[in-house]
Amino acid sequence: MDFDAIVVGSGISGGWVAKELCERGLKTLVIERGRHVEHRADYQDFATPWEVPNRGLVPEDERARDYPIQSTSYAFNSASKQWWVRDSEHPYSTPSDRPFSWIRGYHLGGRSITWGRQTYRLSDYDFNANLKDGNGIDWPIRYADISPWYDRVERFAGISGSIEGLEQLPDGQFLPPLDLNCLERAFKQQTETDHPTRRVTIGRCAHLTEPTPEHIALGRGPCQLRSTCERGCSYGAYFSSLSGTLPAAKKTGNLTIVTDAIVERLDYDHAKRRVSAVRVIDSKTGEGRSYQARVVFLCASTIGSTQILLQSRSEYFPNGLANRSDALGRYLMDHVVGIGARGTHPGYLDRYYYGRRPTGIYLPRYVNITEQEGDFLRGFTFQGYSWRSSWWRGASEVGMGIELKQRLRNPGKWEMLLIGFAEMLPRADNRVSLLERKDKWGLPLVHIDCTHGENERRLVERANRDAAAMLAAAGFENIQSNGPMKPPGDCVHEMGTARMGRDPATSVLNRYNQAHDVSNLFVTDGSCMTSSGTANPSLTYMALSARAANHAADLLGSGEI
Amino acid sequence: MSVSENHGKLNRRALLLGAIFLAGGAAALTRFARQPSVSADAGPVFSPDQFALLEQVVDTMIPATDTPGALDAGVPAFLRDMLANWGSHESHAQILAVLDSIEMQAWSRFGASFLALPGERRLEVMRNLDADAVGRQDPAYGKFKWLVLVGYYQSEAGATQELHYELVPGAWRACLPLAEVGRASAV
Repeated sequence: MDFDAIVVGSGISGGWVAKELCERGLKTLVIERGRHVEHRADYQDFATPWEVPNRGLVPEDERARDYPIQSTSYAFNSASKQWWVRDSEHPYSTPSDRPFSWIRGYHLGGRSITWGRQTYRLSDYDFNANLKDGNGIDWPIRYADISPWYDRVERFAGISGSIEGLEQLPDGQFLPPLDLNCLERAFKQQTETDHPTRRVTIGRCAHLTEPTPEHIALGRGPCQLRSTCERGCSYGAYFSSLSGTLPAAKKTGNLTIVTDAIVERLDYDHAKRRVSAVRVIDSKTGEGRSYQARVVFLCASTIGSTQILLQSRSEYFPNGLANRSDALGRYLMDHVVGIGARGTHPGYLDRYYYGRRPTGIYLPRYVNITEQEGDFLRGFTFQGYSWRSSWWRGASEVGMGIELKQRLRNPGKWEMLLIGFAEMLPRADNRVSLLERKDKWGLPLVHIDCTHGENERRLVERANRDAAAMLAAAGFENIQSNGPMKPPGDCVHEMGTARMGRDPATSVLNRYNQAHDVSNLFVTDGSCMTSSGTANPSLTYMALSARAANHAADLLGSGEI
Repeated sequence: MSVSENHGKLNRRALLLGAIFLAGGAAALTRFARQPSVSADAGPVFSPDQFALLEQVVDTMIPATDTPGALDAGVPAFLRDMLANWGSHESHAQILAVLDSIEMQAWSRFGASFLALPGERRLEVMRNLDADAVGRQDPAYGKFKWLVLVGYYQSEAGATQELHYELVPGAWRACLPLAEVGRASAV
């Protein structure tokens, strides 16, 4: 054996698996399909607005030619574009009338560099949801199973947040919260007065407001309130694989990283019911090679890991490795976005703020929890923030000369945005599959066929109505809907295509993210998700990854795999 | 009889001088004399004449006051470089069309080139054009004005002297009197 363990992917899930396995004393190889990235040296976070290429704007022709899908991300700009793939180099297919935004980056650290850093726990409302209403299959775990692992990953990653005591949004191991600004406080007071079971709180986020000795020992420092996070953070103030898990894994001496290696397939040994080798293609030379280990973790992102399993067809698994159930590739979910509302407020003109807070506000789910509704299942949350506009409003306002300059010297009116995140039901026909057509490495192109359903549309309608009503009640004017609904994928929370479950006939993975039918194969990225919940999912991927890695280490220790 | 109805019959230089004296004599002449030369590199998209016009247009839009203006902040060179490095052919055509429309406004309102007008008249041309184009949400003008604002407010002078900017704020003060910050944040 070359290694004890192989981890495919170095993003938020792969980083956690690597750290836990290395700390358990296992010689671990991380295989990353993208290029190497040097923490700090490869970031442009100290460029001022006038030093950033084209003041942050990506050339129009380049954007249209190379990044038509990736550039829809709010975080895409000239100082961060290195963190997204070129769509022109990495095509995928969808039905022409059913777009899906597959937004991603191929480099060490993956999307842990560009993630939104919002970190919320799932609750038993989420783990019970499928069982309760009969959509999808039951989760094989409950909150109590994952809660200690949430504790573990929160302490290490460093999560800023406030204790709220809500059943639907369990509290965690928090660093001090960031404060609400003046208008957010007013909005909170009005909303909680009008709706006693709704809560407005600060967004929980993976930022070090007060680093612990463990954080400092890894070279991480406190958040500097710059909000240039999408470029990478040289302070290591927000959690990423590059600031957190990979340095910790490296410290053990057990970590090996190989970049520019695209996993082509996993070889399967039917006699032992195990993965026997991981075959890769060198992305630069096109040459193939393979690695062997006692256990293999797929953490290549939801669609990436699904693609690898579908490519790993064999006599014994003609529909893709570990796919006896036909669940592989199906039940693709995201969170529905492009919903909510915004408005402007006439007051508080003598109030402002200092610094650029890297998080917003959060309204935990209330529909179908404390407020019962009849015409839809599940629910939605809101994220949002209030701010005062600056010079950019000048482009759409009449004004010239000294008058323009004087006016823009002052901040504009307060504005507020409420962005809905609605749950998506698992549906078998929302599916990732492979085409005959090949990419430049000879691997089949991914085809994604995914739509929103009637329940999602009803959730969106209600979320839009509630957002507008809460803003109006808090004194906002010129209220506008955030619509239209964005295509699935736009939230970059894609998940569900290799789901966990109790029954090997209807699920790919067991309660420890281990493939039912392949004993040394684990999948811990978003593909394992049995339902989507309404929380941003990265924290759950981290907790499930840490839990699965430790379980695998136990099994290796006892000789069971 | 307005100049705009008769500009074709009038000598351009006479009109220019008349306008200067109407606008306040020596001060206006001084103002005109400050016009930058067109020796600066106009880049691959603007002609030297268009670049000279652009310089005076952005100076009118965002003049120097107690703080630097668009010329001090290098906005013309910024637009030149953005059209070369960022803009598509469509954007090039849009920005050039806006400059053409400014020059046409100058002739139709005052019977002279924008460059030949005194500051007050330039401002009047730009005010009229701006009110109309913003009202119509004209995409070409919107792009032009946006680029001028980016060029100014995201320049070092615009961000740090006209507005408030800190590369590393180091702290979050969530709710404080505007007077303690003083000016709008540049980002």
